[in-house]
Amino acid sequence: MSQGITVRGLSKRYGSVTAVDGLTFDVEPGVVTGFLGPNGAGKTTTLRMLLGLVTPTAGEATIGGRRYAELDQPRRVVGAVLEATGFHPGRRGRDHLRVLALADGLPRARVDAVLDRVGLSDAADRRVGGYSLGMRQRLGLAAALLGDPRVLILDEPANGLDPAGMAELRELLRDLAADGRTILMSSHVLSEVAQTVDRVVIVAGGTLRYAGTLADLTSAKGDTLEAAFLQLTSSPHPTPAAGGTAPARG
Amino acid sequence: MRTDSHTLIRTEVLKLRTVRSPWLLLAASPLLVLAGVSGLVISGGNNLHDPTTQAEALAHVGLTSIFTLAFGILAVAGEYRHKTITDTYLSTPARGRVIAAKLVVYAAFGALSGVLSTLVGLGVTAAWWADKGASFGWSSAGMWTTIGGGIAWNAAFAAIGVGVGALIRSLVGAIAVALAWIALVEGIVGQLVGGFARWLPFNAGQALGAAAKPMLSGDHLLPRWGGGAVLAAYTLAFAVLALATSVRRDVS
Repeated sequence: MSQGITVRGLSKRYGSVTAVDGLTFDVEPGVVTGFLGPNGAGKTTTLRMLLGLVTPTAGEATIGGRRYAELDQPRRVVGAVLEATGFHPGRRGRDHLRVLALADGLPRARVDAVLDRVGLSDAADRRVGGYSLGMRQRLGLAAALLGDPRVLILDEPANGLDPAGMAELRELLRDLAADGRTILMSSHVLSEVAQTVDRVVIVAGGTLRYAGTLADLTSAKGDTLEAAFLQLTSSPHPTPAAGGTAPARG
Repeated sequence: MRTDSHTLIRTEVLKLRTVRSPWLLLAASPLLVLAGVSGLVISGGNNLHDPTTQAEALAHVGLTSIFTLAFGILAVAGEYRHKTITDTYLSTPARGRVIAAKLVVYAAFGALSGVLSTLVGLGVTAAWWADKGASFGWSSAGMWTTIGGGIAWNAAFAAIGVGVGALIRSLVGAIAVALAWIALVEGIVGQLVGGFARWLPFNAGQALGAAAKPMLSGDHLLPRWGGGAVLAAYTLAFAVLALATSVRRDVS
């Protein structure tokens, strides 16, 4: 079974509020897929359900056909960079990764390897409390890469990165995708997304608005990603999108 | 290959070894013992030649369980505060096993804290006794059972702290609730209503680890073995509650 992401009829209700409503889409390996939507669209909730942090009200989200909780050593399969992940300010960066490596049964050499990959080797022995936002983002990325996972899920990874950092991240993600990995990245920075992704999944109001290639979207809906995005997400209910796989609602 | 319990325990220990704040909290325990014993001697109202006074001095070991309770609360509520709980559950989606490992590790460190407080307590008490010309009975059975009860009280309260932190999740909230409970519910309300207060956790701990008379609040306590049994029941109850709620809860 390939290590793609599969979401089927995924829903989450909090009392009377429906955060995610019957989402169905696939994320393929070998490409970087953008996960886009306005604030409150349900992107973060969807990612959390995928990672087993939130229990769906209905439907399922699987990675390589299995739910996160069913994976034997999850971090070896899926790496995640989430906005809500934090660090103990009194802990050194290297020790933060050592804790994860121990919990995940990974060799300590991996800690040095990922620190090197994200360019944090020099700062690794300082306490995270003294890190800049960009350094924290890189530590989060290092943690996600620790298990050398085939699937990478990132929630607003470009937050706090300067242009050089964003360019480095873009290159890293494209390298990882070229290696056959599955990359799902949620972001608000559409200009950055347009340079990084090949496919997009667009959600708004908890429902799917588009799932398909970036090229098809921009050719059908307007010249820029921004124009297409705004058109698809401005209405409260989904409208059929050419080239996409918005589910029929009846 | 699922992560085994041994690895989960080692991970919790590594988490504690790589930060400083929990240790600062535990460092307050020996200081409390030092202050308590010295206060007991200096206040002058106690007969140092009476063997029960020796046990009363060492009963301060049990009293430090207030600090180990806060220490235990850090286990889960601290992870929520620093948002490391996400990484913890991503590494180990079998959350019940994470909580179980925390219960074991924090209870063990709670006991060790009790042992350290005991060493300080014995040293300080023996020194004061010598200073006042009283003979310190190293083989006083009353003293040693008080010490044993106090160490157990510390271990139990550390585990209960893990449970309280897992239920309340807000670090400040959990500590506030715990302290308010001990001071207000067990302390004041217990005094007013009477009778049932001896069955509450802190008072059960006092029964176990104090020297036959309560140190804070309460007129009547359970017998020592009764306090131990009740405290064990509370520990089990909090552990089960922590496990049950953590497994199903959404992490956001």
